[in-house]
Amino acid sequence: MLKNYLKIAIAVLRRRKFFTFISLFGISLTLTVLMVLAAFIEKVTNPVYPGDKNSRSLYIKRLTYTSKKGWINSGGSSFYFLTHYAGSLKTPVKMAIVSRSTSSNAYVNNKKIVIDIKYTNADLWNIANYQFIEGKPFTPDQINKADRVAVISERTRKEYFGDAVTVVGKYIEADNISYRVTGVIKNVPEIEEVFYANMFLPYTVAKSDYRNKDFWGDYSAILLSPSEQLVTKMRTEYEQMVTRIPIPDDMKKDFDTLHSDADTYFETFTRGFFGNADNAGYARFLFFMSLFILLFMLLPTVNLVNVNITRIMERSSEIGVRKAFGASSKTLVYQFITENIILTILGGIIGLILTVIILQVINGSGLIPDFDLSINPLVLLYSLLACLFFGLLSGVYPAWRMSRLDVVTALKAQ
Amino acid sequence: MIKHLFKLIWNKKKQNFLLITEIFISFLVIFGVFTSLVYYYRNYKKPMGLTYNNVWVINFQNNKQFHNTDSVTQYYATLTAMLKNMPQIKTLSYASSNIPFTSSTSTTRLIYKGQEIRPINFYRVGDNYREAFNMNLLEGRWFNHDDVVSSNRPVVINASLKESLFGNGRALGQLIDDSHDDKHVRKIKVIGVVQDVKDKGDYLPSGMAMYNRVDTSDMRYIGKLVIKVSPDADAAFESKLYKAVAGYMKEASVEIEHFSKKRESTNRSTLIPIIIFSIVAAFLIINVSLGIFGVLWYNINRRRGEIGLRRAVGASGGSVSGQLISESLILTTFSLIIGVFFAIQFPLLNVFNMAASTYVMAMFLAVAFIYLLVFLCSLYPGRQAAAIYPAVALHEE
Repeated sequence: MLKNYLKIAIAVLRRRKFFTFISLFGISLTLTVLMVLAAFIEKVTNPVYPGDKNSRSLYIKRLTYTSKKGWINSGGSSFYFLTHYAGSLKTPVKMAIVSRSTSSNAYVNNKKIVIDIKYTNADLWNIANYQFIEGKPFTPDQINKADRVAVISERTRKEYFGDAVTVVGKYIEADNISYRVTGVIKNVPEIEEVFYANMFLPYTVAKSDYRNKDFWGDYSAILLSPSEQLVTKMRTEYEQMVTRIPIPDDMKKDFDTLHSDADTYFETFTRGFFGNADNAGYARFLFFMSLFILLFMLLPTVNLVNVNITRIMERSSEIGVRKAFGASSKTLVYQFITENIILTILGGIIGLILTVIILQVINGSGLIPDFDLSINPLVLLYSLLACLFFGLLSGVYPAWRMSRLDVVTALKAQ
Repeated sequence: MIKHLFKLIWNKKKQNFLLITEIFISFLVIFGVFTSLVYYYRNYKKPMGLTYNNVWVINFQNNKQFHNTDSVTQYYATLTAMLKNMPQIKTLSYASSNIPFTSSTSTTRLIYKGQEIRPINFYRVGDNYREAFNMNLLEGRWFNHDDVVSSNRPVVINASLKESLFGNGRALGQLIDDSHDDKHVRKIKVIGVVQDVKDKGDYLPSGMAMYNRVDTSDMRYIGKLVIKVSPDADAAFESKLYKAVAGYMKEASVEIEHFSKKRESTNRSTLIPIIIFSIVAAFLIINVSLGIFGVLWYNINRRRGEIGLRRAVGASGGSVSGQLISESLILTTFSLIIGVFFAIQFPLLNVFNMAASTYVMAMFLAVAFIYLLVFLCSLYPGRQAAAIYPAVALHEE
């Protein structure tokens, strides 16, 4: 049966090449746009390099005070706050504390180099899987002694030292201070805010004193749970802990609640764009995303429905004959939907090829440095679902119209 | 004639329904694209209001602990004196973090004659800020050292804020309640008006702005130093400057940026989304126009009998193709009436806070664009219809 449908579908496709072209053009481009979008979202929200333990991690990024009067004040957390409170949790096996990056300059042979610096503790090297091209991370011992040591990125090595073969042990100057290089890592895309920097330094050499007892500061934390199952437990534990944290005296005048959340990597994004201190914004993100996709697909769908109806009317004699010989409406609807899905899958394959080409172009253009977009199995799965959805959506109405065609008029039409 | 065509379309309303829907949705998409294009273009045409060449900024995050305001003042006065000694530096001014071409904003509101005016960009700047950026002073004066002792807080406003506060009236010397001052003792006094400055890049509007003088108590939180350098200031000088500043501010991380570069990257981040959006919209429109073309073409083939008959009773080829093109244009009119009904809600409800004229212009452009698109799509099918020979067409029946 299915084989027959397939044969008919291919015959129909070859009959009116112009209409086939219109349908395939529309389907493939729509799916291309969706697949490129999916690849982007996938890349942004899933830091494969260097966040390979992402599924076991939670991120504490912002510290927000709110008051009943509607005032909101938000910032990063201090090193003291994170070690003192998040550090006392039982579940996490490791906790990285990393500052946000600040830009600094270095001048080599009268050429300016911008270096983004992050201060970190030693656990970052255990939680994140940075690839060391040479050398190794600085040790807890070096951190405790406040040694001026640095891990730099491949790009900074190239800009600062040129194509020197090995730089471990050499000195690099930033902010007018010399640091000894202990290792060089593969570049991290800037969009992975928590992990990105061109130069990592021990938190003990930071210019802002890490012993400062203010709650606000420049730091974020990454909590690593022993297993994926315990992530939820870790989150609940932190939530309960935050409710017990006393609000500092100088904040009590204006604010009555302190918020600090341990979010998944994805939620750190959705909270920033769609959420607030109380709400991670995950549901809102899904809602807006689906709304956008629906709106975006509306036009190509209506177009495809329109073209499909035109094509059906062309086949009215065929439908009339089949009906006259006793085919039920249901059979005809199935047939037509199958044909349409075959068409969309064909369009999907073309779309996939286009997507691969476009992603190559984006990667090659260097528009976003170190950003390597690719189609992974998850994106493929989404695309396949989108194909089926699209096929059904644009096939149902024309099929319904077709099945209602009157036998007599259908046969008379030609 | 037109009435007759309306009747023809109305009789086939069920068949035409999808086509109308499709043109309607395309109109909305095109309206969206044109609205943003018109918006960015109109902003682009406005004068920049500042010169950014040879203007640099030194960003610093100072972690130095100061014991009192005097020591802060002393600390920065020394830095200023040191920099002023460099011949390449023409002028310099401290500023709050919302300097031009950064994403940082700080806004406030004013209540004047019972009316709330917001959002107003709130800048803290030094006495030489205007000179560094060569901002255009329209009325009054910029800040100077005498303002330290003035009883009311002196401010300089931009032309847009003047317009919303005083209309065509006089701005200089006017007193306004200060929403930052809880005791309502000190008032804000307007001492000057400057031309609007597009400080979020070439494609975004300046908005209303109020410039305030940096005072000694603000200096503790200041992290930007704007400097105007002479054209011969090169990378060697920059490196020397950097060493001097970083050497002086031992507790700070220091970065030097050029405003010309900052402008480029700000413009890029405005343009990239709109370019992507336009490319996607262009593909949608190509898709739709192919669809419309196909459907019209097919419809004409189905109406061969009718067209043959018209030709047989003496209609010329031109009038046949004219009829078909007018039919599709009338169909378009139906969609556009519905489309314009929705589009007009945007200026009426003041969505997105854009000027009504931007929406109206975008609407006209979108209507013209859709008409042109449908006209082009029906041109070829219409000509094909004109080429139908009555004898052949009628013979088929």
